[in-house]
Amino acid sequence: MRVSKRSFYLVALLAIAAMLFGACAAPVAPTEAPADDSGAAASDAAAGDAEAAPSDFQIGLVTDVGRINDRSFNQSAWEGVVQFAEAAGMSEDNYRYIETQDSKDYADNMQQFIDNGYNVIVTVGFALADATLTAAQENPDIYFIGVDQFQAEEVPNLTGLIFHEDQSGYLAGVLAARLTQSGTIAAVLGTDLVPPVVAFNEGYITGAQSVNPDINIISTYHPGGMDVAFVDPEWGANTAKQALDQGADVVFGAGGLTGNGALQEVAVAAEGGAQVYCIGVDSDQWETVPAAHPCLVSSAMKLITPGVGELLTAAQNGEFPGGNYYGGSGLAPFHDFEDSVPQEIKDELAQTKAGLDDGSVTTGYGQ
Amino acid sequence: MRPNNFWKTSSLISLILAGVLVVMALLVNMTPLGNSMWLRVFFGISALNFTLRASIPLILGALSGILCERSGIINIGIEGMMLAGAFGGFVAKVATNGWPLTASLIFSVLIALAIGGLMGLLHATLSIRFRMDQIISGTVIIILATGFTAYLFDRNAVAEGKFNALPIPGLAQIPVIGPVFFDNPPITYLTLLLVVIIHVALFHTRWGLRTRAVGEHPRAADTVGINVNRYRYVNTTMGGMLAGLAGAFLVLEAVGQFQEGMTAGRGFISLAAMIFGNWNPFGALGASLLFGYTQALQNELLLAGFTDIPRQFVSMLPYVVTIIAVSGFVGRVRPPAAEGKVYETEGSSE
Repeated sequence: MRVSKRSFYLVALLAIAAMLFGACAAPVAPTEAPADDSGAAASDAAAGDAEAAPSDFQIGLVTDVGRINDRSFNQSAWEGVVQFAEAAGMSEDNYRYIETQDSKDYADNMQQFIDNGYNVIVTVGFALADATLTAAQENPDIYFIGVDQFQAEEVPNLTGLIFHEDQSGYLAGVLAARLTQSGTIAAVLGTDLVPPVVAFNEGYITGAQSVNPDINIISTYHPGGMDVAFVDPEWGANTAKQALDQGADVVFGAGGLTGNGALQEVAVAAEGGAQVYCIGVDSDQWETVPAAHPCLVSSAMKLITPGVGELLTAAQNGEFPGGNYYGGSGLAPFHDFEDSVPQEIKDELAQTKAGLDDGSVTTGYGQ
Repeated sequence: MRPNNFWKTSSLISLILAGVLVVMALLVNMTPLGNSMWLRVFFGISALNFTLRASIPLILGALSGILCERSGIINIGIEGMMLAGAFGGFVAKVATNGWPLTASLIFSVLIALAIGGLMGLLHATLSIRFRMDQIISGTVIIILATGFTAYLFDRNAVAEGKFNALPIPGLAQIPVIGPVFFDNPPITYLTLLLVVIIHVALFHTRWGLRTRAVGEHPRAADTVGINVNRYRYVNTTMGGMLAGLAGAFLVLEAVGQFQEGMTAGRGFISLAAMIFGNWNPFGALGASLLFGYTQALQNELLLAGFTDIPRQFVSMLPYVVTIIAVSGFVGRVRPPAAEGKVYETEGSSE
C-alpha cells in the first residue's frame, strides 16, 4: 500500500504545517525566555551577566488569547511594561511576554515565568482572573498584576488593575446625547458576560439620560459566547446598520473587533453624506481603526498603559497595593472633530469629568 | 426520484409563511399598524434588512456544501475556505487601492474566488488522491486557514472602499420590498441568483444528474462511463469558490476590512443550513433566512428594550428546529448515499 504510506506523510506534513503556522501567530519571545535565563538560582551562579543588570527585577506578561500587537488590551498592557522597563533601564532579557494560544494554557504560561524566577507577572484580561488568583496564592513571593480583573477578596501579592468603565461610558453618553439630531442613540456591544462591557453600557445610558431624560437609547449585545462575541465585525456592522435604519445617528461601538465593525459601518454612512457619529472604546481608536475616521468623534478609554506602569513602579518600590487598583479613564481627543464639537460641549464634558472624579456626579452603576 | 411528501408540505408552508411576512411587512411599514412596538420588532424594515444581510454568507456557505456533498465529498472546511477567501480578497484589495474602485473590487472578488477554489482543490486532493478521512481533511483546512491568515495579516493595512448598494431602477421604488430586496450591493444579488442557477443546474442539466449520480451511487455512474473522481474534483473546487465568495462578501461588501477569525462560525452554521435545507438550494436559502431572521429578532428585541425573554433563547430556536428536522421527528433529511466514501475504480487499488 504505497499510496496510504504517502498519504500518511502528507497528512503528517500538513498537520505539522498547520501547527507551525498556528504557533507562528505567537511570536517566539516565550521560547527564548527560558533559554536566556534558566531560573533565578542558575543566573545567580552564573553571576557576571545577571549582576551587570541594574537589578534582578524581571517582568513577565501573559496575554489573553490573541496576539501581543492586537491594538487592544494585550498591546496596551505590554506598552506599559515596555515604557516602565525602558525608563528603568532594564535589559531586554528581563521583560518578556507569552502569547496565549488557548484559554486552557493560562496557568502553564504563568508557570513558565514562575519557574524562571520572574518577580512580577502581568496577566491581561478578565478571562485570566481565576488562573491568576490561583498562581498568586501558590507563589506569595511574586507580584501579580491582573489587568481588568476585579478582586473580590484581597490577596497581598495580587492587584487587579480595574477601571471605572461606567465613568468613561457616562462621558460618551453625554457626548452622544449632545451630538444627536434625531434623539436616538445606539450602542453595539460585545457580550454581557463580561462586566466591564455592561459597565460601559450602563454608564452610557445614564450619561445620555442626564442630558436628555427622554432620549431614545437602543443598545444591543452580541448573542454569541465568549469565543465569538468580540471577534465578529460583520455582526457589529450589520447591527450598526440596523440601528441606523431605526434612526440612530450616534453609535457607541464597544466590543473588540465586533465594535470595530460597527464603527466601520457608521463610517461608510458618514462618507455617504449622512450626519452620523461613532464613539470608540478602550483605547483611542483613532489610532487603532483608521477606517473609522469619517465618523469617530472620540473614544471612551480605559488607560491601561499608565496603570500598568504605576503598579510596576509600586512593585519595584516595595509598595505593591494588593486588592483593586483603579486606573484612569476618560474620553480620547476629538482629532478631526476638534472644530465641529462646540466649546460648550467640551466644557460640559470637562465639568462632568471633574464631577465624576470628585464623586459629585454618579453613574448609578453597581449600586 | 422518490417523492418526499414532507418536503413538499414544508415548502408549501414556507411559501405561505413568506407570503404572510411580505403582507405584514407592507402593512406595518406603510400603515398606522407600525405604531405597535411588537409589530415593528417582527416586521420592521431594519429587521428585514438585517435578515437578508446576515443570511448571505450562510447561503453561499450552504451552496458550497451542497456542491461538494451532492458529489459525495463531505466538506466541513467551509469555515476555513471562507476565511481564506476573505483574506485573499482583502490582500488583493489593499494591493490595488490605487486602481479605480470598481476594477479593484472586481479583481479582489476574483482573487477571493481563486483562493477559495484552491482551498477546495486542496480538500479534493486530500480526499480523493490521498484518500484521507474527509472530516480530518476539512479540519486541517480550517486550522491551516486560521493559522495562515493570522500569521500573514498586517494590522496596518487598510482596504479603501467597498461595494456600495446598486438600486435597481424602478423596482427599488416599490415601498418596503424595494429597499429590502432591490437596493443591495452586487454580491447580494449574485447570491440570490446563484440559488436559482445552482438549483436549475443540479436538477435540470446533464451535469447535475451526473453529479447526483456520483454522490449517490458512484459504482453505477462509473459503469456508464462517468469519471467519478473528476466530477468530485470539479465540484469540490467550485464549492471552495463559493465559500471564497462568502469571504469576499464579508470583506468587500459587508465590513470593508479583514479581521482575524472574522468568519466567527458562519461556515459551521451554513452546514446546519445545508442539512436543514435537505441538500437543496432553495431549502438552504430558506434555512439561512430563518437563521438570519432569528438573529435580527433577538437584536430587535434588545433594541426595543425588551428583556423579559432571555435573548439567547430566541437565537437558540432555529438550531433546535434543525435538530428536530435532522433527527427525523417530523420527516427526514437524507444526505447523498455515497457521501464521505472514497471511490476506487475496480482493479485500480494496488
